[in-house]
Amino acid sequence: MWLWFAKLGSPKWFYELSTKWLPWLVVATVLVIGTATVWALLFLPPDYQQGYTSRILVVHVAVAGTSLAFFPLMAVAGTITLVWKMKLADMVAKNAAALGAWFSFITLATGSIWGSVSWGTWWEWSDSRLVSMLFQFFLLLGVVSLRSALEDTDKAAKACALLSIVGCINVVIIKYSVEWWNTLHQPASPVSLQSGSANGPEFWIATALMILGVYLFLSVSLILSTRNEILQRERRALWVKEMIAAER
Amino acid sequence: MLSVGVKPSTRSAFMLTLKRDLLIAFKRKNDIVNPFMFFVIVISLFPLAISPEGERLTEIAAGVIWIAVLLSAMLSMDSLYRGDFEDGSLEILLLSPHPLFFLVLAKNIAHWLVSGLPVVIASPLLAYMLKLPSESYATLMLTLLIGTPTLSLIGSIAVALTVGLGSRGLILAVITLPFSVPVLIFGTLAVQASASGLPSGGYLTLLLALLAGSLSLAPLTSAAALRISVS
Amino acid sequence: MNQITESTVALGAPLLEVRGLCCERDERMLFAGLSFVVECGTVLQIAGSNGSGKTTLLRILCGLNDGYDGEIIWRGESTDDMAESFAGDLLYFGHRVGVNKILTPLENLRWSAGMQRNVNDQLLLDALEAVGLRGFEESPCYTLSAGQQQRVSLARLRLSPATLWVLDEPFTTLDVDAVAQLEQTLADHARQGGAVIVTTHHKLSMPSVSRLTLGVN
Repeated sequence: MWLWFAKLGSPKWFYELSTKWLPWLVVATVLVIGTATVWALLFLPPDYQQGYTSRILVVHVAVAGTSLAFFPLMAVAGTITLVWKMKLADMVAKNAAALGAWFSFITLATGSIWGSVSWGTWWEWSDSRLVSMLFQFFLLLGVVSLRSALEDTDKAAKACALLSIVGCINVVIIKYSVEWWNTLHQPASPVSLQSGSANGPEFWIATALMILGVYLFLSVSLILSTRNEILQRERRALWVKEMIAAER
Repeated sequence: MLSVGVKPSTRSAFMLTLKRDLLIAFKRKNDIVNPFMFFVIVISLFPLAISPEGERLTEIAAGVIWIAVLLSAMLSMDSLYRGDFEDGSLEILLLSPHPLFFLVLAKNIAHWLVSGLPVVIASPLLAYMLKLPSESYATLMLTLLIGTPTLSLIGSIAVALTVGLGSRGLILAVITLPFSVPVLIFGTLAVQASASGLPSGGYLTLLLALLAGSLSLAPLTSAAALRISVS
Repeated sequence: MNQITESTVALGAPLLEVRGLCCERDERMLFAGLSFVVECGTVLQIAGSNGSGKTTLLRILCGLNDGYDGEIIWRGESTDDMAESFAGDLLYFGHRVGVNKILTPLENLRWSAGMQRNVNDQLLLDALEAVGLRGFEESPCYTLSAGQQQRVSLARLRLSPATLWVLDEPFTTLDVDAVAQLEQTLADHARQGGAVIVTTHHKLSMPSVSRLTLGVN
């Protein structure tokens, strides 16, 4: 176990392993997302209240669910960075923050597109999920901007690790306090998400597939960007030089 | 005479740090006065921008005061570790033979005494100007009394993380403001509840829980952040 | 790569031992496989050109910087395990001297020396007088010159109970007399069983100085 853990920390090992696995992951991602999209667009029956708009929920729910994984992921990576000084963990965390900000943004965007039809408004403060997602977005941007402000790679790694751990705790507190705040300011949304939405079995199968697909996509993008980061940070390492020489 | 040559107790190191920071604050009054003036001025701008009508002001009073508190706290936080970082005192602090938790706590308390406490004391006056019902003054002061130290403690982490940055710009705000959402929510809810005659004890308890949580965790995190920034 | 010329007489057990220290900064190897021992009663001068990692080394030794591989042993145990007792027995003087400009020398020392040992004002005044700051005790430090501010910080040497002094360029802004006086202080500390690690480009004219030169490639 420990040997495996130590090995995983080696950027070179990760790079070589990911070279083998990446093509399969990409194929799987394309297949799963493709199937889910085709299903959602062609076979999902229109919702009796929302019509075809409910189809965007397949993407929205999947991305929203996935974007909740970022802070825990970054907190775990941050702990590994701080405790075991493992560089690979930070390379993953660095890209996770930016990717997480994008995921949160897409969640907000798809949410408001859906809301524009179902609620008749693009933004609704009375939906606590949107509000806490907005603040998660801000927090992730905070991590990204701290990273870009600190020049020293090592210092940036540790500072962002710490901020991610604190942020992870805070996201939970924010989520509950926003929910609380929301129940007190009586929600005035015309249609709540649950009541009118398409939750037939077809919808849930498509969504489950899409969630799997988005997670696969997340892994592929994380692996790709981590590989990039490895090459950049290890550019002076012998194995990188040899590999580049071999490719020429 | 003190027992000379003996390593001072952590308590006396705590008091020394507290006294030193208070002394610096009193000698550099701008750092205290400016954030406070900012707080008062921001609040005075709201009636001009929104409406002089009493009813509308009553409605927004709690929120306006709390947002002004947040912003002025953030402005004043910036000086918390900056001077010590620049002149090297931070290294002496980090290398002292005492748990950093208490020294950071001492600095946070000193900072709150000169920046948070004046705001708490002045709040009824500003609440009066914003036509907050007088029944809510006590609740407002209580929420600020519990909330501003929480803000200081949480803000201290972000200040510690950014203290080494040459050009900070607004990064401190970008990091800290989202963190203060829970305090803002419970602080304003408590005041609004009391303004409409409802009990506010529940929110105060939650605010106290936030204070207790940040009192035990934030100084540790700030200490770790300082070590990172100084390395 | 790194050479050390031993010219010391061991006065006691090794105080600080460094084994296989490596440090990489900004993708540049500052030093690798650095090993040396500092014994009680010795002065170790760290030499090396600008950017050779002298300051980084000192900060690593003090525990301010943890970006290294290798072991630092303090009185036979790892410094990680006994951070607090190590800190109580260590005095660090850095590039930033740790003097707040708005406070007076007396107020500065009351805190910076008081963190390590109990002090009273008489002790502080004596220390300030010894570094030639008599009459300046109550002036805010921004009215003092750079050299005088440095002396405020160096007054800590006379107050500190620490065995190991780690001094980063302590001679830079001092005048000739103050330089001679500081050298005397360092020699006295070594003679009384303390140890000094100092970086300086200055030629130290005292007995029993060992030299460690960094960055000789």
